[in-house]
Amino acid sequence: MTPGTDETAAPVGPDAVLRALADPHRRRILRLVQSTELPAGQIAAHFDLTQQAVSQHLAVLKRAGILAERREGTRRLYSLRSESLLPLRALLDEFWPDALARLKQSVEQAHPRTEEPRTEERGPT
Amino acid sequence: MISTSVRIAASPEVVFPYFTDPLLMVTWIGDRVDLDARPGGKFALDFSGVAARGSYETVEPPHRVVFTWGIPEDDLMPPGSSTVEVELVADGADTIVNLTHRDLPPEREPSHLEGWQGCLGVLATDVHL
Repeated sequence: MTPGTDETAAPVGPDAVLRALADPHRRRILRLVQSTELPAGQIAAHFDLTQQAVSQHLAVLKRAGILAERREGTRRLYSLRSESLLPLRALLDEFWPDALARLKQSVEQAHPRTEEPRTEERGPT
Repeated sequence: MISTSVRIAASPEVVFPYFTDPLLMVTWIGDRVDLDARPGGKFALDFSGVAARGSYETVEPPHRVVFTWGIPEDDLMPPGSSTVEVELVADGADTIVNLTHRDLPPEREPSHLEGWQGCLGVLATDVHL
């Protein structure tokens, strides 16, 4: 095990991202680092939490691939990997269109339009 | 806010109960559905292992139905934290279904608002599609 920089986060699905986001502290961390890179200490200064608790939140976000960590000397700098949120965005965007497509199919199957054929076959004459 | 529409080859009178009758709703969304389609009535559906919970706010057949939507024990989107508004507009013999899923209005509980908007705020700011 080599602690330290881990810039190659494995691709993660929306489930891991959702779980990582399901915590108000972690969402606040993301808002802090969404447009700037911050060291852990500066992130922790925004919270009424122990440094250790903040580190745990950072670790969860890192594992989910949402947070990038970079070492600069003895400092670790964190920033948002916005591309990691794409699967979640897609999930949210697709949920209702998918559901309505199923609604359409369900209604139209149950209530087929009876289009009266203009020329009725009357059988052989 | 998420908005989406679909055209269905049936009248609003036919489509409307698909949003209020559990036996019809379960045909297109959810594995289990429990509904009481009256203002204040229960809206509950389970789909793919997720439980969506809320209550009906407006039931105006055959043109408009509004219900709240959330997921128990998920501070991202707790029950009641967001609202789904469905509008059925007749177009000839067809129905246009307009669905809008929006956040809780600001007068509701602020902690709920923070949860969902917080997440969407991150998404909206940082995901450029």
